[in-house]
Amino acid sequence: MADYAKKVSKKALAKSFRNWYYGNLTCFSQEHMQTFGYLVSMLPVIEDLYDKKEDQTRALQTYSAFFNTEPQIGTMIVGVTVGLEEARANGEAIDDDTINGIRAGLMGPLAGIGDSLIVGTLIPILLGIAMGLSEGGSPLGAIFYIVVWNLLAYFGMRFAYYRGYDLGGAAVEALVGPSATALREAITTVGTMVIGGVAATWVSISTALTLPGGGTLQGTLDGIYPKLLPLIFTVFCWWLMAKKKMSPIITMLILLVIAFLGACCGFFGAATIASVA
Amino acid sequence: MTVNIIQAALLGLFACLASMPGLGGTSIGNYTLGRPLVAGLVVGLILGNVTLGIIVGTAIQVVYIALVTPGGTVSADVRAACYIGIPLAMIAIMNNPALAADPTGSEAAATATALGATCGTLGAILFYGTSTINLAWQAMGWKWLEKGDTHKLYLVDMVLPWISHIICSFIPTFLLVYIGGDAVSNVLNSLPMDSIPMKTLFAVGSLLPCVGIAILLKQVITKATDWLTFFFGFTLAAVMGCNLIACSAIACFFALITFELSTIKTKLDSVRTSGAALTAGDDDEEEEDI
Repeated sequence: MADYAKKVSKKALAKSFRNWYYGNLTCFSQEHMQTFGYLVSMLPVIEDLYDKKEDQTRALQTYSAFFNTEPQIGTMIVGVTVGLEEARANGEAIDDDTINGIRAGLMGPLAGIGDSLIVGTLIPILLGIAMGLSEGGSPLGAIFYIVVWNLLAYFGMRFAYYRGYDLGGAAVEALVGPSATALREAITTVGTMVIGGVAATWVSISTALTLPGGGTLQGTLDGIYPKLLPLIFTVFCWWLMAKKKMSPIITMLILLVIAFLGACCGFFGAATIASVA
Repeated sequence: MTVNIIQAALLGLFACLASMPGLGGTSIGNYTLGRPLVAGLVVGLILGNVTLGIIVGTAIQVVYIALVTPGGTVSADVRAACYIGIPLAMIAIMNNPALAADPTGSEAAATATALGATCGTLGAILFYGTSTINLAWQAMGWKWLEKGDTHKLYLVDMVLPWISHIICSFIPTFLLVYIGGDAVSNVLNSLPMDSIPMKTLFAVGSLLPCVGIAILLKQVITKATDWLTFFFGFTLAAVMGCNLIACSAIACFFALITFELSTIKTKLDSVRTSGAALTAGDDDEEEEDI
């Protein structure tokens, strides 16, 4: 990183990070999404770099362009633009279009990575473990999730912010390069496997039908493969949403119809539930 | 079990903090307080029954295990599922003699899931309401930014959205948990346990978690062989009796193998390309390289 005459002070960086950490989505709207969160996180940096009020306003207006990404991993983009703004304040030839080009170019890919890694993998794994710890109503699992998730989120975001500031674009390379892709695939493997475990542990569907020759249908199904019904219904829901492009709400309504029909014909019944409990 | 005014107000406050564009921030608000399991603890503490809160929260959590909001489209609202759904489900279970007798049973869980998912789905309107009202603050923000009133941006981002949340989070939560509890209990208690509506409620409550799992699968399954990974994890828990910590440990081991394999593959590819380049240049050097 170049040795500039004007450097962003540590205090301004810390404040900028805090503003993003807290305020990235507090004023969300469909039209501007995280734009205002971005503005307030750039504000301390810009005030630190520019002395004149009109310079501050002009610099800040750069960041009024639309912005939306995954807020955790996306912290890196804020860090990168802080570095760019610092370079600009020191007279480097960086204009609004350069900064916004980089922002717009990064927010899509990082949103994709963040959604699949954080919301799609990390949080479900933590919640899966936490639900196990909370079985029977113990608060332990909830406390586990609160502590672990918040430590990971805070320090992870801090790391991403300063990494972006120190390394600029090179920081993002590390997230999209071949070894990062391999690591992401590995983490997704953990997520997919754990979600299988979550499905088997926490989805319990059983049938009340009795077979003509004595015995229950549930007993026969258990003999084929335990938890066969949860598996079938999960794959069915996936098929409706992924292959038939149905929304989760429509899928839930279809399940409601199935539940009603099943209750009418005796496939689902209170007896099942009593026997499970 | 009834909810007093202070309890209802506290639930309303947490609804403001926990929603998707929530005032607790993304990490603490939406991703912590807005997870039904955590909300179960919070609501349990507020209503004075932590055990039931956690049980209800866990049941609803499965449905919302992967709540992704790509591009700001939502099919469910966490504040409604958590801070309207969980209290209503707790009240309904406590006020129903059959359900209260066995709160850890699958009937109670199914009731909680069905109520939570209903609130979460209908609550999507609260999400759109909040983000629409926020547009007004943002319009004011643009004017202030134009004038160089930069410090008022803090007002726009962190203070004025409270008004949106009082309208779309606090008031609906307060009213629904304060008044709605009796209504839900009365409906549930008027139906015999083995009637078709109750059987449907229990059945749909047991089916709904599949949607949560399927939303996640939609995201992680990109090729047919990914199903094997899912079935493997399913079998570990369903047949081999592994709990989720054990599943995670085994999964990490397989992830390590996957990682090593793809790293080797990348290395091989790079050797192959550089090898090809060398063949074109100098045959002797290629042998040295190998």
